[in-house]
Amino acid sequence: MSTIVLDPITRLEGHLKVSVTLDSNNIVTEAQATGNLYRGFENMLVGRVPNDAAFLTQRICGLCPVSHAIASSKATEEAAGFTPTLQALLLRNLIQGANFISNSILHFYQLALLDYVQGPQMHPWTPGYSQDLRFSTADSESLMASYVTALAIRRQAQEMGAIFGGKLPHASNIVPGGVTASPSSTDITNFKNYLNTITTFVKNTYRADVNKLATTYSDYYKIGKGYGNLISYGVFDTDTAGTKLFQAGIVTNGVKGSFAANNIKEYVGHSWYSSPSGVNPASETTTPNFEKSGAYTWLKAPRYNNEAYEAGSIARTWLSGDYTNGVSVMDRHLARYTEISKIATNMQTWLSQVTPQTSGYTNIGTITTGSGIGLTEASRGALGHWLSVSDSKISNYQIITPTCWNASPTDDAGNVGPIEKALIGTHVEDTTQPVELLRIVHSFDPCTGCSVHVMSPDGIEMSKFVVQPL
Amino acid sequence: MKISRRDFLKWTIAAGVALNLEFDLANVNTVLAAETDPPIIWIQGAGCSGCTISTLNVTNPYTIDEVLLNKVSMKYSNTIMAASGSSAMQTLDESATQYKGQFILVIEGAIPTGANGNYCILGEVNGTPLTMEQAVLKYAPMAKYVVAAGTCASFGGVSATGANETNCLSAANILNGKTTNPVVNLPGCPVQPTILVQSLLDLILTGNQTLDTNNRPSKYYGISVHRACPRRGTGAANQVGATAGCFRGIGCKGPTCQNACPSMKWNNGQAWCIGVNYPCIGCASPAFPTNPLLG
Repeated sequence: MSTIVLDPITRLEGHLKVSVTLDSNNIVTEAQATGNLYRGFENMLVGRVPNDAAFLTQRICGLCPVSHAIASSKATEEAAGFTPTLQALLLRNLIQGANFISNSILHFYQLALLDYVQGPQMHPWTPGYSQDLRFSTADSESLMASYVTALAIRRQAQEMGAIFGGKLPHASNIVPGGVTASPSSTDITNFKNYLNTITTFVKNTYRADVNKLATTYSDYYKIGKGYGNLISYGVFDTDTAGTKLFQAGIVTNGVKGSFAANNIKEYVGHSWYSSPSGVNPASETTTPNFEKSGAYTWLKAPRYNNEAYEAGSIARTWLSGDYTNGVSVMDRHLARYTEISKIATNMQTWLSQVTPQTSGYTNIGTITTGSGIGLTEASRGALGHWLSVSDSKISNYQIITPTCWNASPTDDAGNVGPIEKALIGTHVEDTTQPVELLRIVHSFDPCTGCSVHVMSPDGIEMSKFVVQPL
Repeated sequence: MKISRRDFLKWTIAAGVALNLEFDLANVNTVLAAETDPPIIWIQGAGCSGCTISTLNVTNPYTIDEVLLNKVSMKYSNTIMAASGSSAMQTLDESATQYKGQFILVIEGAIPTGANGNYCILGEVNGTPLTMEQAVLKYAPMAKYVVAAGTCASFGGVSATGANETNCLSAANILNGKTTNPVVNLPGCPVQPTILVQSLLDLILTGNQTLDTNNRPSKYYGISVHRACPRRGTGAANQVGATAGCFRGIGCKGPTCQNACPSMKWNNGQAWCIGVNYPCIGCASPAFPTNPLLG
């Protein structure tokens, strides 16, 4: 029996540690994922005006800020009983779609691909593992050429989103009430030109490269499955009646089911908290306890009907019927491509529906009291904001992020988190170069900036304890 | 680098500064290609990686592929480096040791000092966690220059706001007097990528820059957003979303925020906040994020 500790797992946002235990055949028998950054985000929102949350929560994650702005705005809009105009929804879709495309291209080429291909023999592409590199020299060079092109395409996707969103990362103008942009015909043409360039890359280069990876590493259709249970809150509103391009839902043992937010509970049995376990985020409290026996992470364990669910592109495309081949390392990559291709196509439609010279914003005034839930998706999965307002200020704010679902610890009933589950059972060929583990973790596109903010040590004096990270 | 070339560049850049904020350094920067790629070590503390993403968006003076392949040698970057685990931590330490006194340390995010720094762990070294606080205190004094990328690293920013439960500090705050040269603050949430990349090249090519009282390069942070704003003096806008008029009366932070947004804009010049009808929230200000953001 031996252990492998990977700290840090690089090529992701934030600070993530993974440790596994191997049996005598080098099969993973236990796995733990730990986020290594705590920011106390939710508490800094309390006492602020609700509009501020759409800006501050974007600063949780520089990779998926748009989804945070939308989730936050939706929560306030629900509290106000307001439905944004179609123009607002279209502009949000186009900014969020641009962010999704930028993210998924970055993920495949810059974050994941180096687990399969060696880059130029210079920093930051070296050192790296040399284990299990199967591509020919010609294919490697071709993929690295795509890597460089992808740097430009992901940048252009951000430029495209900024046309309506002001800037990326951290959009300027997604607020409760809509989007304050009032696009000119020139803006729309400019956006369309970007979209055409990006779509061509996605449907040709990205498609060819992800298929090349899938062909060469076809054994990874059987590696890193995890539970195979999937969850999505739905994303991209296509009308003001709540219709979405990707519908909310769950997949349990291969069977689709409906989603209801009140079935979510968060467990803290193996997390550094002494607050009540198994509570819905709308009424949740958080009290840290770093000396708690059996706890090993800052992350809570969100569960749906008390079961662990995986979030991400594969959940959305499974529910939409666009990709239902399976759940594995390679299926996640293919689902991500399939989804981006579909989003790019639909962005053309949304763009054609945008009315020039018309603002996407409605002034909804000040909310004095109320509560709301803002559910959307980041590219890496289901994102929810739970908001309460009293005396025109935020009185409570809870966030469950995609990586909270995916990188969660063991819950009170003993169910490990989805990434942990996906690691267990994996054979590691060379324990000094455990590339199999990196491939599995990266296939989830974890984002620990997302995952680590959710602990809010209310009223605790920090001088009283010393954190033991593990 | 030869003294003669350095002197030449100093003269060229000084002339450029005198003429215009947005002078073009493309010709000057080509000299870099003839040099050994200068080493950069980029570490991330309490932040969101938004400054890394923003830097990947750079188009002027170069796109990021050109920066990484031909201008600098990025020894450590959690977001893009190939190495993980102990190999990554070894690369960090070996690079800092090998290039002691030569490398630029870029700090992204604030530095949590609460709980002995354990709110942010960069990784494990021989089974022992290395906190962001320890890494900054160890590597910044070894660097030739230290650059604080973004508002969190420059002033604490969002990471240090409110009750600041994690006791986040800025780079300059924690490093007071411990560095070879003054910490260069490049605030912005995120940092404007041209300012970041050009500032790195400025340091490499010409050494210490003229800094203001907040340790920011004067040439980028010399004037307020309001002073350069095209809406200045165009009558009052009465609500966010207004397509014309000055937002000052509804709490725009443009008058108190120094940044190059009106001239450089964002994302390859595509847009900026006020251009999409939302007031400046002052994201580059030492006071960011104020409560409330507007007002």
